[in-house]
Amino acid sequence: MSVGSRTGEFPHVPLHVILLIYVVVTLYPLLWVFTIGFSGQQGLMIVDIPANATFLDRLRAIMPWPAHFSFSNFTSVFTEQPFARWLLNSVIVATATTILGVFLACTAAYAFSRFRFPGRRAGLMSFLVSQMFPGTLMLIPLYIIIVQWLGLGSNFIGLILVYSITGIPFCVWMLKGYFDTIPRELEESALMDGASAATIFYRIVLPLAKPAVAVTALFSFMTAWNEFIQAATFMDKANMYTAPVGLRFFVGGFSQQWGYFAAGAIVTAIPIVVLFLFLQKYLVSGLTAGAVKG
Amino acid sequence: MSQKPPHRRRFAVGLVAALVVGVGLSQWALVRARAKENHARAERVALVSLNALVEMVARAGGAGEATRRAVTAFARESSALTAIRVVAFDGLSLEASTAYADTGDRAAPRRLAREEKPLYDQGQRLRAAIETNRQEGAARKEEIEVVPSASGGLALAAPLEKDGSVVGLVAVETSPLPPAPRTGWLFPIVVLLVAVAVFWAAAIAVGERRGALALFALVVLVVAMFAVGRHANTMVAADVRSSESAVAAAVVAEEARAANVVQEASLGDARLLHPAAWDADHFRRPLGIVGADGKLDEARRAGEMGRIAASTARVLGSFAVLALAVLVWVGFGFASRLGATLRKHRQAYAYTFPALFGMLLLVFLPFLYGVVLSFSDMSLYTSQAPIGDLFTKLWVGLKNFTDILGDFHVATSTAAGLVWNYQNIYWTLGITIIWTVTNVAYGVGMGLFLALILNTKGLLGRPYYRVIFILPWAMPNYITALIWKGMFHQQFGVFNQIIQMFGGTPVSWFEKTSTSLFACIATNAWLSVPFMMVISLGALQSISADLYEAARVDGATRWQQFRSITLPSLKPALVPAVILSVIWTFNMFNIIYLVSAGEPGHSTEILITQAYKFAFEQYRYGYAAAYSVVIFAILLAYGIWQNKVTKATEGI
Repeated sequence: MSVGSRTGEFPHVPLHVILLIYVVVTLYPLLWVFTIGFSGQQGLMIVDIPANATFLDRLRAIMPWPAHFSFSNFTSVFTEQPFARWLLNSVIVATATTILGVFLACTAAYAFSRFRFPGRRAGLMSFLVSQMFPGTLMLIPLYIIIVQWLGLGSNFIGLILVYSITGIPFCVWMLKGYFDTIPRELEESALMDGASAATIFYRIVLPLAKPAVAVTALFSFMTAWNEFIQAATFMDKANMYTAPVGLRFFVGGFSQQWGYFAAGAIVTAIPIVVLFLFLQKYLVSGLTAGAVKG
Repeated sequence: MSQKPPHRRRFAVGLVAALVVGVGLSQWALVRARAKENHARAERVALVSLNALVEMVARAGGAGEATRRAVTAFARESSALTAIRVVAFDGLSLEASTAYADTGDRAAPRRLAREEKPLYDQGQRLRAAIETNRQEGAARKEEIEVVPSASGGLALAAPLEKDGSVVGLVAVETSPLPPAPRTGWLFPIVVLLVAVAVFWAAAIAVGERRGALALFALVVLVVAMFAVGRHANTMVAADVRSSESAVAAAVVAEEARAANVVQEASLGDARLLHPAAWDADHFRRPLGIVGADGKLDEARRAGEMGRIAASTARVLGSFAVLALAVLVWVGFGFASRLGATLRKHRQAYAYTFPALFGMLLLVFLPFLYGVVLSFSDMSLYTSQAPIGDLFTKLWVGLKNFTDILGDFHVATSTAAGLVWNYQNIYWTLGITIIWTVTNVAYGVGMGLFLALILNTKGLLGRPYYRVIFILPWAMPNYITALIWKGMFHQQFGVFNQIIQMFGGTPVSWFEKTSTSLFACIATNAWLSVPFMMVISLGALQSISADLYEAARVDGATRWQQFRSITLPSLKPALVPAVILSVIWTFNMFNIIYLVSAGEPGHSTEILITQAYKFAFEQYRYGYAAAYSVVIFAILLAYGIWQNKVTKATEGI
């Protein structure tokens, strides 16, 4: 296979052909949603096709390019629909989740990486096992705890707590893997110089672990930004919807407002995609470090 | 350990802790039981009066002048009930009222005002309850409603029947309830002090002998708990006895009053009243403890006392077990060992505490609660029930599990061929396995394939390809799902346009199981490739080029290099990724839920979406929880097996 290409003997042209085919596969759905978003209509069709359509008519209908460019879907989703409010809700929830989630995961992962204490193995294993808990099993009890016991229904705090805490196991495992790769000698020499444990953690370990912390933050943010089952369950007031719940509102059930959906989806997805691409070099190193050390 | 083992001190501290727990909980339970009995007594007395009143009103016909006369006479005779209101459904009228608000131009008889609709609704609720109970031949829904009133008393409502059907209701209020009796703390404190003193005296005599100390502490604890139990039982029994007397007195008094009312309102023969039925429960079933003449049925009462003693013994017994656990824990040094461990590793525990506490509250506690739910038949209608009910009224044991796993009717054979039962778990499990295996296999295969190509040295535009290929991962998956759902649209979807472009007929993707599942798998395949690609690429890039150099020098073929260098180097990164990916795909809710939604007829559900439908479309919470526990068991078994096979978690 392509391994041999390390010697340069494998021709590049067929590789490019394969890659370009896959580029089309990857990009088509994304271009399609852009097309619908900029079409200014609510329908699924890119262009209207005549009753006895020819090959070319059909070909035009699958080309991801709108018949007329229009920003009307974008303007009306923010003015006629309460999408701005939903987006703001998502920003608040996702930002707070990131801060809280990263704090919780960093402290715990540091302890799991650096200290040997009774319960360490059990704690790590229980984190792993908790990843297998089916979401539906948790949803009803979580609803009872968050809404009925803590009274946090339709409240940012409830959603933030749930998101940041359910993300802990993954973040801790990943961060721990990275912390394990940081040489202990650094901390030991700092200790010799009289630094306190907190100083070592905040001034030495965290800065060194920046890539992993960035990945953790990204992961927390993405979880909160993209989640919708729990948000739909806990946020039953329409003005407290998060963006995903709002987007489903456009095309769920009998609603067929594909234009609003596409415009909203583009606005919602762009920041997360940009953030993702910006941080992806950390993502690879963080994930492989975590995964390899496992 | 020091030379002088601190057994004596430990057992003394353990005993004190155990006594505080055991005796304290018993005292708390006693206070609660007495308050409850106090409330129950007031309620029974009020019910006697209410039932007497209802009988009188029913005799008077439930409407008209005769009813008003009866109510007025009753109100004058009895001061226990205030704000008596009689409502007739026919004409929505308030037939009689002694409530303060219903004087002047609001005096009865009049039509119910709009804001009095709750009163009417309450009547209809009672009617429905009676009809349900009659149909089912059971006492399931309460036929008399009792709620706290605004003035600190009780608000009661009873149905008014005429010729076997409910025609109205009688609502009353009582004066504020008497305060709960005070329960002294002297007795438990004395018991505690005496017990500790006795133990200490014995301990001085025995010295540091652990076995003897443990035995002494155990005996002292049991005796103390026994004393507390007897004391509690005596007090509760006395309360119950005084309740019976109070109810008996109330029956006699109501009977006398009723005779007067019957005479005054000329309602026929006073001897035809049914006072024996007045002391009744919320289902209007006579309790039968207090007879018509106010005499108590001694046999029944003795049975009642026996039940009270048994329940006291049960409750206090469980407290005693708890106290014993505390004693053992402290006495044998487990507590001090734990304390030492916590102190020694306090830094580690301080760092992990916030995360662990959060996980306990919002991950492990809900999990346990869900497991408990799976043994109950909780549904939407019983979701407000207190937790205790899960273990009693709603408990169904393993029924949910036998229903789910014991149902082997996967298919029925008919003339037209096999008809599959899509609600059956084995069908859904089959679909889930197909779904998971296909997706993971495609993800790994395609991801690795692309990664190998992208790892080619000197290939033009590698970073650009890489960024583009990562996009599906960066996209929120619910958006992806909704986009693909749109693209698979039968009439306007892109895929059908392409099919038509080449002269084919459009496919109704979501009307056949195979095409519907294909649509879901296609969606998920698209978004699961980048994860595997990135992992593989990362691992590939970390392989040292020297290895290949050396292999080439030794004359290894390309395939041999791949087999002996590339694959083994990928393994540490790929194996955990595959495990994660299997679990993620198995639990991938959004794609199935949003793309096919299980269509047609739940045939393309995977386990997790099926469980969701049971919970949030059929509202069978207990059943759905049991279903989820089965899912968890499958995943756990997979995890253990995988762990055994790969030892992926080695070296933590």
